[in-house]
Amino acid sequence: MLLLGDARLPTGGHTQSGGLEPALLAGMAAGDIPAYLTTRLRTTTLVDAATAVVALRTLRAGGAVELVEQAWAARTPSHVVRQASEELGRGYERLLTRLDDLTPRPVRRGEPRPIAVARLAARLDVAATDLARVICHDDVQSVCAAALKLAPLDPVDTVAWALDVAPLVERVVAQVADLRTPADIPAPAAPAAEIWQHAHATAPRRLFRA
Amino acid sequence: MPDSPDSPDSIHAPTRALRLGIAGPVGTGKSSLIATLCRTLADRLQIGVVTNDIYTDEDAQMLRAAGVLDPARIRAVETGACPHTAIRDDITANAIAVEDLEADFAPLDLVLVESGGDNLTATFSPALVDAQIFVLDVAGGGDVVRKGGPGIARADLLVVNKIDLAEYVEVDHELMVEQGRDARDGRPVLGLSRKRPETVAALADWVQATLVAHRDGTHEPVDPGPMAPHAHTDGTVHSHEHAAHTP
Repeated sequence: MLLLGDARLPTGGHTQSGGLEPALLAGMAAGDIPAYLTTRLRTTTLVDAATAVVALRTLRAGGAVELVEQAWAARTPSHVVRQASEELGRGYERLLTRLDDLTPRPVRRGEPRPIAVARLAARLDVAATDLARVICHDDVQSVCAAALKLAPLDPVDTVAWALDVAPLVERVVAQVADLRTPADIPAPAAPAAEIWQHAHATAPRRLFRA
Repeated sequence: MPDSPDSPDSIHAPTRALRLGIAGPVGTGKSSLIATLCRTLADRLQIGVVTNDIYTDEDAQMLRAAGVLDPARIRAVETGACPHTAIRDDITANAIAVEDLEADFAPLDLVLVESGGDNLTATFSPALVDAQIFVLDVAGGGDVVRKGGPGIARADLLVVNKIDLAEYVEVDHELMVEQGRDARDGRPVLGLSRKRPETVAALADWVQATLVAHRDGTHEPVDPGPMAPHAHTDGTVHSHEHAAHTP
């Protein structure tokens, strides 16, 4: 679980800003980043954490994750956002391939990040609550790390932000801990952030993929 | 990583190109060198390009606009302001881009991976590229070669670029090349100007010779920095105990 939550895990996480760069390009004030973290945890991060938990239970039961993936996609309407998540998923799959000495399969499209991480969690015997916590932590830290590249900040400020949202992370973990089926995955939306991220595919000046 | 004849990442598969990294500080002419290579070799080799732009897709756009290659064969990878990480510590995004290019345009002979431009310590992981060129230029100052670094000392080829500008910046480019040879224990150094056809031909010849050596298994991937696992054309993947070894 500590490995999965480590920014040094070589899965391409450094190319992502958790939607922060698109938000700032769209005019969101840097002072609103803590509120952005909270909004994300209540919406897209909640969907991802729930998807990961349901995928983990499905995998452990020997079921197929296609329906879980469809439920996630239905809650992630922008194809740009889905594609960024699928690219991250390929990074996790690349790692899993190495761990299991598998032959790399000719993937052209990865599974979304929450499902790819759930596969690793299944492989590493990570509990559902820890998996949900990792998904939240990774999302919060993607935003915080990217913020240091995008806004004038003292790095210690972002650590304080991450700690400030820790109680909310625990609420998300409790909310998704017992979910079992694709229909259980909540469907909150963050339309403004989705629109900002959707525009990022054609943004002329950017440091981050998404 | 294991290989099988039908996997796209297999080094036996016909889609496995020579992956050639182009590293070096910002502004030394990496994109220009790639455009020159494409212009010179495009009628002989099937080529793809991955660029790692820092803040824009400027380099990818420049290469597309140069008209030297089908624009679809040029992919830009964002590095989150971490160009060093993207070619060394976490090659995921670049490795995926290379594999996609090889699959989309199979069979490719050569995939050029352009680093976003960094300092003298940035070199490619051998897990990402089979060989690498480190690019300096005369305008960066005649003393840069003496400052050294893993790329200058141990890249497969050191290029001293823009030698046509040497007289204007009061640098002795022949001395720079000479000092490069001294710093590299005889590994190749090439003075280059895209305006001097004989130097462009020498660069193209080096790339073709490296491709031949890669295909017949005599090219040994060398890591200019700390050794990491790398692939051989005989199908083995391994690490070395020691940082320095020569082919």
